Amino acid sequence: MELTSPGAATLRRDPDQATSGGGTGDAETADVALAASGDGSAFERLYRAHVARVHSLARRMINPDVADDITQDVFVRAWSKLGTFRGEAAFGTWLHRLAINVILARRTTLSTERGRYHDAEHALDAVPGRPVVHELSLDFQQAIGRLPDGAREVFVLHDVEGYKHEEIADMLGIVPGTSKSQLHHARMALRKHLE
Amino acid sequence: MNDTWTERLSEYIDGTLAEAERGALEAHLAGCAACRTTLDELRRVVARARALDDRPPAADLWPAIAEQIGVSSGAHHVVSLAERRTRRRVAFTVPQLAAAAALLLLLGSGGAYLALHRPPLTGAGAIAQRGPAADLTTSPVGWVQKTSSRYDAAVAELEGALEQGRASGRLDSATVRVLTQSLVTIDSAIVQARRALAADPGSAYLNQHLADTMRRKLELLRRASALAPART
Repeated sequence: MELTSPGAATLRRDPDQATSGGGTGDAETADVALAASGDGSAFERLYRAHVARVHSLARRMINPDVADDITQDVFVRAWSKLGTFRGEAAFGTWLHRLAINVILARRTTLSTERGRYHDAEHALDAVPGRPVVHELSLDFQQAIGRLPDGAREVFVLHDVEGYKHEEIADMLGIVPGTSKSQLHHARMALRKHLE
Repeated sequence: MNDTWTERLSEYIDGTLAEAERGALEAHLAGCAACRTTLDELRRVVARARALDDRPPAADLWPAIAEQIGVSSGAHHVVSLAERRTRRRVAFTVPQLAAAAALLLLLGSGGAYLALHRPPLTGAGAIAQRGPAADLTTSPVGWVQKTSSRYDAAVAELEGALEQGRASGRLDSATVRVLTQSLVTIDSAIVQARRALAADPGSAYLNQHLADTMRRKLELLRRASALAPART
């Protein structure tokens, strides 16, 4: 599935929204223009400003082991696609959607490689050979990583990144009802890993 | 604990339940301690998710990215002139460069032709209309000498517009800082190119390199001057 247009989501965590009307927006606009004209220094500033968000997204959506590789891929693609950025959305939103596209394209391969499947609601309980005490000691972020693929993707996109069910359904190729169901199962599974 | 309403608690939290269902669920919650506990836990999960911090990668990924996209990963990111000359000489002959330069100029000179054949305009808006390719209507070799006075005038005009934007507060300090750094970098590249041209004035590559660098400066100034009125 190819998704290239910037998401229309009002992201809770969108740094561009947080700074709208503030000091860094114009500076970033200038850097985007410079980077589009081939200025590596300006692109490095964009990288520094957004790498934590992109890397965290990759870490949560797929796997910490491949987050570095995906992050590199996202920024390499962003560099090559800067000429197509028209400024309709904030750069951070555009980059975030590009990152999701890269992640979703990668997940198919990784899912096949892992070949894992867990019942959604009991995913974190059903891992064989793990003592209950150890399970309960899972860090919240680690627990997110242990969710089944679908539930994890929906949870990250909805509760962490702030997308709506309709947008998530469009990205993942599912219906909004499935997105709601996956989200609920993910939340139910994560209740035991709040501390 | 798992009743019919448990499955609807997330929708209740997200405010996506229909009014009638919402009322029915609230009535159920009043008498079901287990559902109230689950609801509280789910709300804490949502709050926890929203509070997650973004963390950068453990290792700096920029050097690998810079290598892949072909830019310098050092502190000073303008690739040295000697390095660029070496790189390009491997890939292109001088006639190829001249042909490529001519193509670039053709592509970029449509707007410039129109601009040059209009009555003179003044102000930042006029500069923005004129565009970065203004004046680039001749062969790259010797272009700099032929057009430097008009280039200098355009740069001075744009810098004046920028200064006005800064002084009036329409450009914030962070933007001014970034622009200043970028201009210093570009000016440094222009100085390098001029020095090299002084030693080798007939070089098609050096002329093109200088023209490209000056064009970048014009483009940056044009975009920056366009930012100032956009903030009013």
